[in-house]
Amino acid sequence: MKIRAVSLNNVRRFTHPARVDQVADGLNVLCEPNEEGKSTLFDAIQALFFKPHGSRDKEVSSLRPHVGGAPEVSVEVETEDGRFILAKRWFQKPFATVHRDGGLVAQSDEAEAWIGTLLGGDAGGPSGLIWVRQGMTDLTAGSKKEQDAALEARRDLMTSVGAEVEAMTGGRRMDAALARCREELANYATATGRPRANGPWKEAQDRVEELALRRNGLATTAQDLHDALAERKRARRDLRELEAPEAAQERRERLEAARTAHAAAERHAEKLEAEARKVEMARLTMDAARTRLESLHATLTEQSEATRLVADAEADAKEQQELLEQQRTSRDEADRAFQAAEAALKDAERGNALALRAKAALDGADRRKELSERIAQAERARSTMEAAAAARRGPDAETLRRIEALAAAHAAAVAARNASATQVVARYAEGREGAIRDGDAPLPAGKPVPLARITHLMIKGVGELEVRPGEAGDDHSVEAAAEKLRKALGEVDADDFDDARAAADVRAKTERRHDEAAAVLASLAPDSIDALRDALGRIPELEEDCEAPDPEEAEAALDRAREAREAARLARETAMERFSDLRNAASRAEATLASLRDRLARAEAALAKSGEVSEDDLATEARQAVDVHEAAKAAHEEKARNAPDLAGTGAVVNRAESVEQQARDEITRLKPLLARLDERIGRSAGDAVEERLAETEQELEAAEGTLARIEHEVAVLTRLEKALEASRNEARERYFEPIAKELKPLLHLLWPDAELTWGEESLLPDKLVRNGQSEPIDILSGGTQEQIALLVRLAFARMLAASGRKAPVILDDALVFTDDDRIERMFDALHRQAGDLQIIVLTCRQRAFRELGGKALRLEPVTAANETEVC
Amino acid sequence: MAFRFIHASDLHIGRKFANIPQPQDGNIRGRLMEARHGAIGRLASVASDQGAAHVLLAGDTFDTATPSSTVIRQALAAMGEASEVTWWLLPGNHDNLRDAEPLWEAIARDAPPNVIALTEAEPRDMGDAATLLPCPVAFRSGASDPSERLVTMASDEGKLRIGLAHGGVTDFTESGASIAPDRDRTARLDYLALGDWHGRMVVSDRVHYSGTPEQDRFKHDRRGVCLAVSIEGPGIPPQVEGVETGTFLWVERDLPLHSRQDAAAALRAILPETGRRDVLLRVAVTGWAALPDQVDLQRAAHRCAPDFAHFELKTDLLRTQYEAADLDDIDRGGALRLAADALMEEAGADALSEEDRAVAADALARLYSYVREAAK
Repeated sequence: MKIRAVSLNNVRRFTHPARVDQVADGLNVLCEPNEEGKSTLFDAIQALFFKPHGSRDKEVSSLRPHVGGAPEVSVEVETEDGRFILAKRWFQKPFATVHRDGGLVAQSDEAEAWIGTLLGGDAGGPSGLIWVRQGMTDLTAGSKKEQDAALEARRDLMTSVGAEVEAMTGGRRMDAALARCREELANYATATGRPRANGPWKEAQDRVEELALRRNGLATTAQDLHDALAERKRARRDLRELEAPEAAQERRERLEAARTAHAAAERHAEKLEAEARKVEMARLTMDAARTRLESLHATLTEQSEATRLVADAEADAKEQQELLEQQRTSRDEADRAFQAAEAALKDAERGNALALRAKAALDGADRRKELSERIAQAERARSTMEAAAAARRGPDAETLRRIEALAAAHAAAVAARNASATQVVARYAEGREGAIRDGDAPLPAGKPVPLARITHLMIKGVGELEVRPGEAGDDHSVEAAAEKLRKALGEVDADDFDDARAAADVRAKTERRHDEAAAVLASLAPDSIDALRDALGRIPELEEDCEAPDPEEAEAALDRAREAREAARLARETAMERFSDLRNAASRAEATLASLRDRLARAEAALAKSGEVSEDDLATEARQAVDVHEAAKAAHEEKARNAPDLAGTGAVVNRAESVEQQARDEITRLKPLLARLDERIGRSAGDAVEERLAETEQELEAAEGTLARIEHEVAVLTRLEKALEASRNEARERYFEPIAKELKPLLHLLWPDAELTWGEESLLPDKLVRNGQSEPIDILSGGTQEQIALLVRLAFARMLAASGRKAPVILDDALVFTDDDRIERMFDALHRQAGDLQIIVLTCRQRAFRELGGKALRLEPVTAANETEVC
Repeated sequence: MAFRFIHASDLHIGRKFANIPQPQDGNIRGRLMEARHGAIGRLASVASDQGAAHVLLAGDTFDTATPSSTVIRQALAAMGEASEVTWWLLPGNHDNLRDAEPLWEAIARDAPPNVIALTEAEPRDMGDAATLLPCPVAFRSGASDPSERLVTMASDEGKLRIGLAHGGVTDFTESGASIAPDRDRTARLDYLALGDWHGRMVVSDRVHYSGTPEQDRFKHDRRGVCLAVSIEGPGIPPQVEGVETGTFLWVERDLPLHSRQDAAAALRAILPETGRRDVLLRVAVTGWAALPDQVDLQRAAHRCAPDFAHFELKTDLLRTQYEAADLDDIDRGGALRLAADALMEEAGADALSEEDRAVAADALARLYSYVREAAK
């Protein structure tokens, strides 16, 4: 189908009939400014094809002019069957008609059906796919209904263009199978394959876990019951054995016999102990007798020894006292001699000091004179320095060299100027020498005189000769050099270079004088003149009324006095040490004597005390005590040989008592234990633990079976889902192959090597791949998105045409954001697709679309000339 | 006059059957429990019908060593109500003397006069005609023949010697704990009443397993019975008659299939026509079936399952016969067919584990099911 003309009447601003006609094959462009009715034209075409003439919905209502009226639209189309005029009016007297060659083909509902099949498809057919309303350039723009319609159209188109598409992807059957699989799987598992909360899988897992825990708990309880039963069996048996009368009687008899045997053993042990005590007593008596005898012997020996030592000590003490007295006298003498030597030393020190002071005064007289002279010379040198410094004027050597250079430069400038200046040579006639004068001076005869400036030569008797040197004499370098020279001379207060040199010589001489004076001063007073004066002040002056001894003699006398005093000091110390030693020795001798006298007194006191018993008596008593001790030992040994094993009989008693006690304790323990076990067993048995354990084990077995079945089911569903997804992915690439093939050359007009990837559900491009980089469509610029959208629509339109459903592409301001460079290439794309498609471009961008080309359309009021063509 | 008594065993009263799946709207576990309790009354009824004054229970009267007091008391009460019968209860391995000591204490304490707990291996007088020689089980797993004591157990001259024991006659574990099959001869028994085997089994003329009066497993393929025993006198072979006492029939049927067989019809053919409410049926399917047949089989099973007390279809040994037409039903090409082909290849891949092959096979069957359901 191709549109050939569109007429509007009572449609929005077109309250009078307006028409676009002569719509051609290929590319048509209606380029009008805003508010000229392009979008109205688009909506009118849309309404004609897709809004029943009985509709009063808002879209149809929006077509009515403000003043009201019944919108009327007619479109002339050309199909393989010829040309038809489709017309509709809404609201008042609505109609729908199809005419051919002036004859009515269909009207009303039949006409609607006829129009509906023209483009094919429900839900708007391809309009959402290839008819782009202003502001809807985005592929995903529009209302939900419009998006759904576009998706349906794409799906329908994809299905129709690929004979194998449905078979290839499984289509809705695949969707249904996959959805069913996912639905059932979702009942069990989350998207990540984990058991879903509150789902049967999770519940089965929880159930198994819960039952296993319960089973383990019950098994433990059952085991406790078994253990309790076993323990009770043992306890009952033990209690029965312990409480048996025969056993109790046997225990009692065994204990009685043990106690009797042990009592006999204890009595024997007591007798043996008495014998042992007798032995000990005899031994003590024997030891005491021996001790007394030995003590008497020792006291006698001590008395004799002490008497001898006292006599020796008395002699020694006397001798020590005598020596002490002698040494006391010697010590006093030495002390006196030392005092005398001390006094003599002080006298000698005074004499020597006097002699030294006199000598220093004598020696200082020459030094004072020499210092005074050096101070006077230094003062003179300083005066000379100060005078020279004051007289230092005139240029220094550096300044003189600079002035000299300036003078040379000036002379050179003068010479250069003179060389090029006008020269006059006077040659006087005889008698007339000096008749020519330059100012006051006559011109020398025969000698060229340069004239650098206008010069007036006075010729005596003749008049004045003015000489003008011309441009050669107009040289300012001489004046500049002269000015520099004058300035330099002025700085040193000189009239000319010679004057400056003379002043420089004077300055040099003054500086030499200053330096010489400074050297003298440094030699005389290296530290300063004040330092010399201080040294002079420190030299003593001679005391005129004092008679000093000879220094050498005084020093010799002093040395002698010192030696004498040292000798006296040593002698006194030796005497005092000796005295101290002797005094200590005398004290020690006295102490020794006192101690020995005490010792002797003690020995004599001890003898006096034991004077009543003789040595023989004590010896007899000791021998008798030994005999008594030996007899007691023999009696004890005899008793010990016949003694029974007291520890053994005691152990037997302990064991028998222990057995009896254990029996009592065990009976005491077992009775309450049995009561506890009875209660424990009764409680567990009453709880039917085994019954519940068996039930739980059966439940667990069933739950494990259920879990295994569910896990198998999940595995089956998971495997099926993966298999379906994998196969669909494989088919998907083939699914999109036709559109990708159609789109590829269009894309390459803008981006060489660019590819689009497609959304599985939306059937729309979702990513642009350029230079290996993949970019989601929705992050691309508005212009790029717009261009991709248009290219995709053009590709779909071509596919639609290939499927036998040729429909015009209508684009209402579809390129809004595209820049000038890209829009040229988009124009190329439009022309490329316009080869076998009818494309109608509505745009307000008059200047930008000037280069699009194509057939220009006009939306014009119906005039008398074309009125007959309006339906 | 012949001496008559009833021989039964393994009542397993108190068993919960928690491993039997119970639909939300069903009560199969409760019914199974109640049936076990009801066996007491049915045994009393058989005794009455047979003119028997004694019922010998050869062990495992109770399912566990510590049944709840409700279970014990109600069982004892039911026995007490059949006051014309003397109930002789032998401890078995489930209610053995050691583990079930409280149980036997409770029975000794609470039992009515006509209920006698045989907790000692010593002769018991059954009246003028017979002496009962019980061999109570002391431990759950013994290491010796519990009937060995019968050899030395004395009895009154001229009275029947009736042995009562619990254990297997075949020693699968080689523990030496099995009962000697010729124990009747070595112990000079007129009859040896055995328990432990839940099915009816004749060991010899004088040695019998009665089996349980109410079945509890898919093994014996018939309802539970008790034995009505009649002995004319010492040395005379007993007359033994099995009397059906079971309420529920536990039955397992094999369903071998082959390809191109109508699996659903084959299933329907093996189902009992009547009494399904008291039948617990397990169908073990083997052989080969195509995908559509498997779907049909599952649907048929799903349809008939509510008829039964319990219905179980085991298909783990059923192999899938893949046919081109089945896969074509999924799709003749395209992604669905790709997926189906991949799963079929996995299902037959020897390199994969059995589990992975089973997963792939079931996934394929599921895909087939989805596509078929969606097509309807």
